[in-house]
Amino acid sequence: MRVIVIGAGDVGRHIATTLSAERHDVTIVDQDADRVEALRNELDALVVAGNGASPKVLADLGAAEADLVCGVTQSDEANIIAALAGHQIGAKRTVARVRDADYFGGDESFATHVLGIDFVVHPERATADDLAEAIMLPGAVHAEHFADGRVSIAESILTERSPLIGRQLGERRMVRPNFIFGLIRDGKAVAAEPFHMPKRGDHILVAAAREHIGEVVGHLAGRTPTARDVIVFGAGRIGLPLSRRLEGKEGVRVTVIESNPERARYAAERLARNSVVIEEGVDKDVLLAHGVDRARAFVACAGDDRSNLLAAMHAKQLGADLCLAVVSREEFTPLVDALGIDAAFSPRLVTAEAILRSVRGGTVHAMYLLLGGAEVLEVQAEPGCRAEGRRLQEAGRQAHTRIAAVVRDGRVIIPHGDEERVHAGDRMVLFNAIRGVADVSSTFGGS
Amino acid sequence: MRRPRAPGLGSSVNWQLVVPVVGGTLGAVGVGMAVCALTAVVAGDGAGDAFATPAAGAIVVGALALASARRLRSIPFRPRDGFLAVTLAWLAAAIAGAVPFMLHGTLERPVDAFFESMSGFTTTGATLLGRIEEEPHAILLWRSLSQWMGGVGIVVLVVAIAPATGMATNRVFYAETSGMAAERLTPRIADTAKILWGIYVALTAAGFVAYSAAGMGPFDAANHILTTIATGGFSTRTASIGAFDSLAIELVAIVFMVLGGVNFALYWRALRGADSLRPQLPELRAYLVILVVATAVVTLSLIASDTAIGAAEALRDSAFTVVSITTSTGYITADFDEWNSFGQLVMLMVMFIGGCAGSTAGGMKVIRIVLLGKAAAQEIERQLRPTTVQVLRMGGRVFSEEVRKGVLAFFSIYMLVFAVGTVVMTLIGVDGTTAVSSVIASLNIIGPGLGEVGATENYAAIPSGGLWFLSALMLAGRLEVFTVLVLLTPAFWRRSVA
Repeated sequence: MRVIVIGAGDVGRHIATTLSAERHDVTIVDQDADRVEALRNELDALVVAGNGASPKVLADLGAAEADLVCGVTQSDEANIIAALAGHQIGAKRTVARVRDADYFGGDESFATHVLGIDFVVHPERATADDLAEAIMLPGAVHAEHFADGRVSIAESILTERSPLIGRQLGERRMVRPNFIFGLIRDGKAVAAEPFHMPKRGDHILVAAAREHIGEVVGHLAGRTPTARDVIVFGAGRIGLPLSRRLEGKEGVRVTVIESNPERARYAAERLARNSVVIEEGVDKDVLLAHGVDRARAFVACAGDDRSNLLAAMHAKQLGADLCLAVVSREEFTPLVDALGIDAAFSPRLVTAEAILRSVRGGTVHAMYLLLGGAEVLEVQAEPGCRAEGRRLQEAGRQAHTRIAAVVRDGRVIIPHGDEERVHAGDRMVLFNAIRGVADVSSTFGGS
Repeated sequence: MRRPRAPGLGSSVNWQLVVPVVGGTLGAVGVGMAVCALTAVVAGDGAGDAFATPAAGAIVVGALALASARRLRSIPFRPRDGFLAVTLAWLAAAIAGAVPFMLHGTLERPVDAFFESMSGFTTTGATLLGRIEEEPHAILLWRSLSQWMGGVGIVVLVVAIAPATGMATNRVFYAETSGMAAERLTPRIADTAKILWGIYVALTAAGFVAYSAAGMGPFDAANHILTTIATGGFSTRTASIGAFDSLAIELVAIVFMVLGGVNFALYWRALRGADSLRPQLPELRAYLVILVVATAVVTLSLIASDTAIGAAEALRDSAFTVVSITTSTGYITADFDEWNSFGQLVMLMVMFIGGCAGSTAGGMKVIRIVLLGKAAAQEIERQLRPTTVQVLRMGGRVFSEEVRKGVLAFFSIYMLVFAVGTVVMTLIGVDGTTAVSSVIASLNIIGPGLGEVGATENYAAIPSGGLWFLSALMLAGRLEVFTVLVLLTPAFWRRSVA
């Protein structure tokens, strides 16, 4: 596949690296000559200096034959123009990263149908959504919905009260149909086996029908949620939409901590209640003054990775139940576990999800990347695919892959030791412990 | 080196721009007087001459002044010119409007005629006439018409017609519809002014039909709707609406007083769909809540204090009086001077509240009262949580910090004017209750107060100095204080350009 990536920032580099590792032909364009020079040695890709929003540059780079043009520069406008130009020149698919929700905020069909941009990624807003999902699911640190919201998967950290501790997964009793398909221990994801014996502090990945996920996770994690206070540190592009989503939920009380007075006022005017406080930093006294010890969740989403990690760590030590940090740069990811932070969220991954989904093509309907290299995909089994007619337990089963759930005719099927088989048209939620490990299109794609 | 200057910018006031606005207002007043002259001829009541002469004079002066505007269209209009033009326009209207009262002999002293006229144009409704029924039709119509012209704002009327003369009138519009309500409905301010007057005329027509259906004769119906929708309060009867003793008429009056107390922009937005209506709903809701709650507590207090009064009668009296007083109309069906102190106090409080911003009503306006309460509550909360960002909001609408400052400043200045005004009135020699209530009734452009200016009394007992002073308060109240007060500052008259 031929992919043109415009913008060689964090996100652009990450996409180029991932795609190049998956053996796609990647061209990456950036206006910064120094950055281009540095990337030339780093990437197995064509690295070009130039203005990627220029139709002439795009045409020269072969946008007409490209399968995908994605605009991921710092500038929303440049990304939109690049996607528009790419579409006009003849690229098969175009993706634009747009950080400002004012563009196509509520209505992406305008971008898709009128402008011809196939996919608009709002990384910060999507991250805010992910954070809100995790916070609203007590016991979980991540939660994601698939198959039009019918199936949910959750990542949960086991406490000492979890019923899973000290026995093999194969022996557990179940309240509701659910499937523990993956385990993350010490930052490394593996596909779950019946003989695995979870320990305190392990992360489990579980799938269930959406209406059951809350009960399942609460039971498995062994947590009993009490107060619903949420403290959001940072009223920026993530903190503000997150707070707006949370304050609409019943019983949730949000406190937003922001150091920049102008930003604080901007956010306060966009929230329904006066919940924004201006604090220079988040030291112990400040956190305690705002009730961090009684908080259900603390979310660190200020601008800078280091202060996010530090604040989340602090909050955890002071007794916040769930501590989440937004971490943009990959090199900080290993610190998350070490600092005792429950989970990290990355806008960069959200963008990558959207773009990788575009690259994987038609069979992949949704994609969710976990930090640490695992991924969850939603794929559709095409008629005549290799997996058709095989048992669910076996069809996806390789060393690093599981079928976590299936949706057939609107019904959620959680695979167990039963005789359920793959049908054409099934929507599968597929777990890869190592990104890109399963050859999805050859297994589930039409022949 | 001499800098090039726009004409007139060096002087403290651009008279070339102020004169057309004042003249245009005079012309409009002249047209109103001409209508009364015709009425006098038709009715044969002999008051025709008292109107024909001033009408002709005002129309001629107005036409000349407007004609002089044509050559000046490129001159910028500054805020100070707007303040001065509007204040002078109202003064000119009140002076011209006083002439027929004197010529006909209704009120002989200039101060009396001026007071009656100012009370009319500012839609106050305070009167010096003891036996209103004895006056000729033309005089009665003139009182009603002056309130109607003052209701939406006589200068707004000029703004609506001014573009024909090439005048830049933005500043005038904002100076008259000051503060919370000044909002453009259309890109061109003249179109906004036309819309406001269009709505006003439509409501007036609807009210005329309603009054007629409720049993009023055409002349009474016309006079009363002119003063109802303007929330003015002049009546053709000494006993006001109470003279008709008709529940149907009182209900019609209540409905149209309430309608007159609503922001007129709301009607325009309502015609354009529910979405554009949303920002104004919180104030409307608060306005209606205030009316309902005040009616309820007054009804209960009347029942509790007066065993002779039935529940239905108490409700009827209190509903009408609360609506009449809150909307700053001042129609009377019950003498609230005779009520218990609690009921009287509620009346004085709703006098200060008034109607919605952008309505014909007076008072401090509901939106300011609500924001004031919220700002006070937030100030208290700030003591507890000093780092919390306090945002002033009402319904879903967010107000800037400028509005917070503006509301607090407005309140303190309003209270100061009230306090100083009361002191001045007692120095002039009226008793305490009368001084307090006459200042409240004038500043909030209500009309009737308590004591010597109570519901069944009139202002004849006030000394002439007091009448001049109350006239000034009415004007200040009608223009929401700031517009008039800036003219009293030395900075206004300095030569430096604002």
